Amino acid sequence: MPDISSAALNQGEALSIDHLSISFGGLKAVDDLSFTVNEKEIFGLIGPNGAGKTTVFNCVTQFYKPNSGSVWFRDQKGEVINLVGRPVHEIIKHGLVRTFQNVEVIKELSLLENVMIGAHTNFKASVFEQAFKLPRARREEKEFRKKAEDVLKFLEIDDRKDMLAGGQPYGVLKKVELARTLISNPSLIILDEPAAGLNDSETGGLADIIRNIRDEYNCTILLVEHDMRLVMGVCDRICAISFGKFLACDSPEGIHQNKLVQEAYLGEEEDEI
Amino acid sequence: MNGLNNKSPSLLKEGGALALSVYKNTYLRFIAFGAVLALLPVLQSAGLMKASTLSYLGNVLIYAVVALGLNLLLGYSGLISLGTAGFMGFGSYLAAIFTENLQLSFWVALLVAVAVPTLFGVAIGFVSLRIEGIYLAIATLCVSEILLKTFEQVEEITGGMQGKKANYPVIFGSKLDRSGTYLLLVIALILTMMLTYNLVNGQMGRAMHAMRGSEVAAQAMGVNLLKYRLISFALATAYAGFAGALYVFFIKYTYPTVWNINLSLYVLAAVVIGGMRSIYGTVVGAFLVWAVPDLVLKNLPVIGKINGLPYIFNGVLIILVIMFFPEGLAGIPTRIKLFIKRIKEKNAAKGGAQSA
Repeated sequence: MPDISSAALNQGEALSIDHLSISFGGLKAVDDLSFTVNEKEIFGLIGPNGAGKTTVFNCVTQFYKPNSGSVWFRDQKGEVINLVGRPVHEIIKHGLVRTFQNVEVIKELSLLENVMIGAHTNFKASVFEQAFKLPRARREEKEFRKKAEDVLKFLEIDDRKDMLAGGQPYGVLKKVELARTLISNPSLIILDEPAAGLNDSETGGLADIIRNIRDEYNCTILLVEHDMRLVMGVCDRICAISFGKFLACDSPEGIHQNKLVQEAYLGEEEDEI
Repeated sequence: MNGLNNKSPSLLKEGGALALSVYKNTYLRFIAFGAVLALLPVLQSAGLMKASTLSYLGNVLIYAVVALGLNLLLGYSGLISLGTAGFMGFGSYLAAIFTENLQLSFWVALLVAVAVPTLFGVAIGFVSLRIEGIYLAIATLCVSEILLKTFEQVEEITGGMQGKKANYPVIFGSKLDRSGTYLLLVIALILTMMLTYNLVNGQMGRAMHAMRGSEVAAQAMGVNLLKYRLISFALATAYAGFAGALYVFFIKYTYPTVWNINLSLYVLAAVVIGGMRSIYGTVVGAFLVWAVPDLVLKNLPVIGKINGLPYIFNGVLIILVIMFFPEGLAGIPTRIKLFIKRIKEKNAAKGGAQSA
């Protein structure tokens, strides 16, 4: 069905959420939500607590199977595919990687090894080749070790590369998660609250890192974030949702002035100020 | 005189440099460890060691192989199997049947003893690994019991409760004796250690770590959970079948009672005591579980007379290890290093304070 799928994404669009719905019991966590992310864009998804932002991410990456709707994505071959219904572990092969709200790194591995997990699908050597360290296994191991070092250097934590992840500061672990997504050369990265748990100066640096990632790795970034300064500062466009429903999708200024969004979300903050 | 004096320090230095380079290269270290193990029969022929001691040590080597397999499963992938004994027994019977009844070569028997239990394990894994958690433990426990009953009941092939006899292996036309077979065990263990080392330090090992550490992260990074659970379970089964074959070639006898649940629990104990995710730790664990009670404790006054001493010893050891060394005995060197580092830092701080 190439004709249908090519119609689902226009030129220059990377991802399209199309009438997505999922409910848990009686609760509609995501309700007929649609929005489109452009290529090479930093796109923010915001909403009050419990708005269903992370649920949307989980539906895109197939950790949850949506009840209805589609997720159209331009894969690395340029073909437009529907992600819904595909196995979770297959998603990264199409060029879509994510981070997690609470960092999910492996404590018993070094930072470098943690990053190399991100290259899992790039390895072609079989278990047999790995057990006997045959040339291909050795070559791949070397290649991705180098690549992991480069990514860690890019994020300025290469001085810690051989330290175990357990016991590292939260800010470093967040960067390790970022590095783990970058090593697979993704076309779209989904960041689930990248600033959560970071201090002010780290959050300030994060905006630069996110922009650098987009420019250096030539990819699209979709992020959920509570830190309004970061979202307003770094995003090209923002989609606001509340109780799983679409509110608005606009530039940061547009979102800031949007009456619906102010009512649902930003309004409370302005009262405080 | 002078020349001699000059020579000996340089020899020492060269020897030291050699030892250091062996220590630094992981594979040379495995080989050096193997060489030490291989030299133990010399102690026996020199009269410094009892002949029975060599049997116990051979046992340790065999069980270290199977424990390494369980470590892949339990330590790295975070899955638990209670069927180790059954699969090991399966391997032992297959090896005995193929060499004694069918008169096939050692290599064919070894291959069959590894391949058949592995395929069998994959089939069971395919059914039980789809469900998470404890189900693999339950399924493997049941399978192990079924295998045990089969060993007892199919008397025509297995010899029933009388068990089945086998012989020292014939390799390349020459029949090995007891120390020859012991050497074979050493080679088998060292090869297993090397392969395990390669596996756990590559893509496969990282995928297993990811599965244990965070299933969601593993999936997001493209690790197919079912596939890698199956692979690690298949590997553990292959190690068990291999160890079973080694057992029957060294002990020359296999009978059902050996392969009961106690053995599976012993293997589990060896992994936990020695250290999850540690290759040398697993070997140390196997030594503590299978050699220390018989070689050391039995010779002690009073304590040595207690019935079921190995059970008590292992039980106490597990409790102590879990309480004080959750990472197993393999974690002790790291702790000592940390301790020394801390003392040095303290001293440095003191020195700094005094000079200030």
